[in-house]
Amino acid sequence: MNGYGGSILRVNLTEGKVSKETTPSDVARDFIGGRGFGIYFLLKEVPKGADPLGPENKLIISSGPISGMLIPGGGKCDWTTKSPLTGGYASASMGGHFTAEMRYAGLDSIILEGISPKPVYLLIDNDKIEVRDAADLWGRNTFEVEKHFKEKLGEEFQVAVIGPGGENLVPYACINHDYGRQAGRGGVGAVMGVKKVKAIVVHGTKSVPVADMTAYKQAGMALYKACKDAEGLKDWTRYGTTIVVSWCDEVGALPTRNFSAGSFEDGKNLYGPVMREKIVITDKGCFGCPCPCGKYSRNKKYNNYVEGPEYETIGLMGSNLGIADIEAVAHANLLCDDLGIDTISTGNVIAWAMECYEKGLLTKKETDGLDLKFGNAEAAFELIGKIARREGLGAMLAEGVKRAAEKVGKGSEKFAIHVKGMEQSGYATHNATAMLLAYMTCDVGAHHNRSWAITYDLQVGREKVVPEKVARVIWLQNFRPMFDVLGGCRLQWVELGIDRDLYVPALEAITGIHRTWEDLDKVGERIWNLTRMFWIRENEGFGRAWDMPSPRFYEEAPTSGATKGQITKLEDVNRLLDMYYEQRGWDANGLPTAEKIDALGLRTVVG
Amino acid sequence: MPATLRLTASLKKMLNLQDEYPAEVGESVRAALIRVGIKPELVAMVSVNGTMETKDYVIKDEDVVRLLAVIGGG
Repeated sequence: MNGYGGSILRVNLTEGKVSKETTPSDVARDFIGGRGFGIYFLLKEVPKGADPLGPENKLIISSGPISGMLIPGGGKCDWTTKSPLTGGYASASMGGHFTAEMRYAGLDSIILEGISPKPVYLLIDNDKIEVRDAADLWGRNTFEVEKHFKEKLGEEFQVAVIGPGGENLVPYACINHDYGRQAGRGGVGAVMGVKKVKAIVVHGTKSVPVADMTAYKQAGMALYKACKDAEGLKDWTRYGTTIVVSWCDEVGALPTRNFSAGSFEDGKNLYGPVMREKIVITDKGCFGCPCPCGKYSRNKKYNNYVEGPEYETIGLMGSNLGIADIEAVAHANLLCDDLGIDTISTGNVIAWAMECYEKGLLTKKETDGLDLKFGNAEAAFELIGKIARREGLGAMLAEGVKRAAEKVGKGSEKFAIHVKGMEQSGYATHNATAMLLAYMTCDVGAHHNRSWAITYDLQVGREKVVPEKVARVIWLQNFRPMFDVLGGCRLQWVELGIDRDLYVPALEAITGIHRTWEDLDKVGERIWNLTRMFWIRENEGFGRAWDMPSPRFYEEAPTSGATKGQITKLEDVNRLLDMYYEQRGWDANGLPTAEKIDALGLRTVVG
Repeated sequence: MPATLRLTASLKKMLNLQDEYPAEVGESVRAALIRVGIKPELVAMVSVNGTMETKDYVIKDEDVVRLLAVIGGG
């Protein structure tokens, strides 16, 4: 089948056996790859009510048709599972070089099933696929294990590895790769951990068949030329995602002290040029990327090297903790990566704990003696380790901000910043109604990458609650995650502004199937509805209440910064949802109607 | 050579504007944006001759001022 490795690899960890099956052509046609494959297999194969940390849950790793191809940004793969953090759908995108090697080994998806009785790693060397003992690697940090495999097997092997966070089933544990890339959100690392899989190591040398080699080369070159000619290429590459730190600070979107404000009085110390000057030594990109956003840093203050920090980590580990030292942020980044926990969730939950401490809801005894004031970087470092190891206060924080707030109570639930149990990522949304709606309705919880609508807020009027904003959020939710379906990166489109139509001939040349963006947007809409159906299936009573944001955004206006005194009224939050459900073709409780499911041709998938 | 404002594709598409505009020496980038009809808050990054500057930067002769929008996020 053109455009595909051709095989789905199943790994039965309970029995230590592996098997391959042919990638179903109808699934490839209808769901294309990446997160499309992920939700298809999740709905079909994980039984209703499965414990996310039980043997019935599966971890589904999928590439897409542009993964590993000479297409800018073809270095992404999707990790789908039932989330131990939210109890709903989890899908984490990981860059680097793993997905290319997967494809060259002939694999479109790897599905981890069951639970191994002992620590193992999965070795994939073309058709040599083995579940091997990893007893000597269990308990070790991610960088050490990746280095171990690189030295033992060779640099050409790509490694995805969990750290102590995943081993200890922290529900926001991530999977680390390429010394600094992650499948970060939703606890995919905990699912790998409970299955006792320390690492997946992959290398392949096979070709991926393409339908029209000449057209493929032409389309690929056209895409690379568009990136090379883009006006902003040099600036974007110099600073990567850190270009938005100053902008977010300016417009009141930079999460500050547990999202109590959107501007940080010491934010200048975290801006892109400061970081570039102080710690960055080189750029670091994923497979085939012409505009690497990754920045590799030498942190003299803490005597180490780290990839990053990128914007999200600067926001959550910097301003959101009241820390105005880019080297301290970089060090927190390194600790999280090495221990295998998500920097976004970790920064969010530590900020909540700091606010609890400052409000007297957590005593010094309850913080294990830590003076957990905002701005105390050393305390944050200590807590990162405690979370990954589930020690002391870390054991409670390791459960995520929603569960921790339910345990502490005393009103702390109101400043637990999450949606559906997933900690909100790096944008304060007191007065950015489209972005707020994007967080509320994101299909994994409060994550920004599906629909990044905050510029649209500024373009049309940030406080406005109008149908056009809702339509924009929906369009982005259908369209942007299509890059996670195709197995590529969206940043070439979103940051360099290259024409998305350039991907159409590339995809056709690779797969032999002509699809316009209208067709692809429809696939995106089908997938979005399937992920919603998964939430409904797995959570009794699921509906509108699950889409509500933290009260902080409709009850507490910031007292400083660009959004001082600004807030979204609760009635507007509900109006946003009313319009969203109507435009989606869902009922007033946010459930897709039977007519909608049938119109999208999804009946056979959801039953 | 006069100074120039150059818009990246994202910003140009968002606002349906031209590729570039002449800039006036002595005016701030912020003032230049307003003059051209761009809300300053829509510009995420100002790059002057390849170096990131603030919107308060005062434009000099021969400066090439690149304006980046943010439509993506991380």
